[in-house]
Amino acid sequence: MKYYPGTSFLHRLDARVKIILLLMLTILVFMTRNFPVLAVIFVFLLLGWKISGIPMRELGGYLKLLVGLIAFVVLIQCLFQRGETSLIDPILPEFLPLVGGMGRITVEGVQFGLLLGFRLLVIMCLMPLVIMCTRIRELSLGFVKLGVPYRIAFMITTALNQVPLLQDEITTITDAQKLRAFTVFEDGTPLKKLKAYPTLVIPLVMGAMKKSMLIGTAMDVRAFGSRKGRSYLHDIQMGRADMVTLVGMILFCAVLAAANYMLQR
Amino acid sequence: MAEIMVRVENASFRYPNAKEYNLKNINFEVEKGEFLVIMGENGAGKTTLCKVLSGIIPHSQEGSYFGDVTICGLNSKEHALSTLTQHIGIVLDDPESQLFTTEVLDEVAFGAENLELPVDEIRRNAQWAIDVVRMQGYEEKDPTRLSGGQKQRVAIASALTMQPEILILDEPTSQLDPIGTLEVFQVVRELKETYHMTIIMVTHKSEEIAQFADRVLVLHAGEVLAQGTPQEIFRNQEVLDKAWLAIPQASEVCVALEQQGIALNGFPVVLEEGVQQIGQLLNGARKEMGA
Repeated sequence: MKYYPGTSFLHRLDARVKIILLLMLTILVFMTRNFPVLAVIFVFLLLGWKISGIPMRELGGYLKLLVGLIAFVVLIQCLFQRGETSLIDPILPEFLPLVGGMGRITVEGVQFGLLLGFRLLVIMCLMPLVIMCTRIRELSLGFVKLGVPYRIAFMITTALNQVPLLQDEITTITDAQKLRAFTVFEDGTPLKKLKAYPTLVIPLVMGAMKKSMLIGTAMDVRAFGSRKGRSYLHDIQMGRADMVTLVGMILFCAVLAAANYMLQR
Repeated sequence: MAEIMVRVENASFRYPNAKEYNLKNINFEVEKGEFLVIMGENGAGKTTLCKVLSGIIPHSQEGSYFGDVTICGLNSKEHALSTLTQHIGIVLDDPESQLFTTEVLDEVAFGAENLELPVDEIRRNAQWAIDVVRMQGYEEKDPTRLSGGQKQRVAIASALTMQPEILILDEPTSQLDPIGTLEVFQVVRELKETYHMTIIMVTHKSEEIAQFADRVLVLHAGEVLAQGTPQEIFRNQEVLDKAWLAIPQASEVCVALEQQGIALNGFPVVLEEGVQQIGQLLNGARKEMGA
């Protein structure tokens, strides 16, 4: 997930507005149990992607990574969520201890599974959109101006910044393994893959720790955290368009919250 | 007598869990405008010495530390790292880990921003630093996408923005290709010649430093083995053998000729000197043959 340069309305929007919108929508998505509300947010976000000018295949890429996870969540919920209305009768009889009633699939379970899956899908459309439309510097400044201490804002944004580098690192490690005929991650059985994970994770974690110590030193010699305050070379200003958008977004979220409340009753 | 910028007195340091002291009783001084090169084999204590000189030891690195380092009149034990860093900047060997923002200009301005300097001063300093390292036009580029030499130049600019009087470079070219190495050395040379900056540099590259180092300090097993002009050091066979130093090719030719019983008019460390002195030798021989 990386900043995708552009000049769209979303790119120009003040980082604070984007952060607030991100927070409001995330809370809504996790609060609601209504498909129509989620569907409205989903369409709204797709519209956002369209406006941003970022190619849809970028979004497709993220979703492809998550299809497995979403399917897994839906499946687990279908299997284990208890409910009233049976869709498929239990495979194991009810009177057995612990496993009794397993294999029963209920309408409520399926509904809840789909709800969770849909929530994940919507969140996955939301997070990358905000991050890809905002320079990391502006995101950091946005957090600071919203009252988050600089240290924490720096932590969040540096972590975001390091993700692509960590991905490169993973490629380097797996390439080095492949060159030495270690191809479990390509053609191994799931169990073998699971067993092979330490060979990837250990060098990755060790490397990341070493690197973070070096970054720490490099930050120290550049006076990080030495003063109470801090100057900012770049500044962000709330314009009229930003204010109007912010108010509009708050109204939009309020209407959605109200609709959610009505539907729930 | 020139002003003393750095004074190291009886400095010793041991990392936690290390059996032996990594630096043992180091003493030396660096004068204003001097270009000091620190050489020595791996594990000799070069990087540790850089950390001691820059104040990273004792402020940001744990271990047992004795002795005193005075930077521009400030004892490094008594002043915060952020104060010291305004007098002495440091560039580390790994170009990756010292760049952590998303744009070159932000990277270069980072230190000055942390010092809470006024914004126009930061802008002025940063632009000056970018000009010095010749990275104009790259202000908005992503540092991770640059070449090794460019990354190291950005790292130098990042230290320069804080306007230090002294710059430490810890093997700045060890991970660079020949072109990257050349770029970095050009910048360092300009800092010395145009800005008369005091520079302390750790490097193995004797060829590149031979012509503009004022003094070479050789570390061996945590101790100062020898110090002197490049000529003095590269001529001292005992020191070279003990510290595994590679000497410039011109000096190597001179040593080989001397072993054959042929003496040159001096001891060349730079190619041009070598060519000149061997030329003199050949001219002399030609005249003798003619006579």
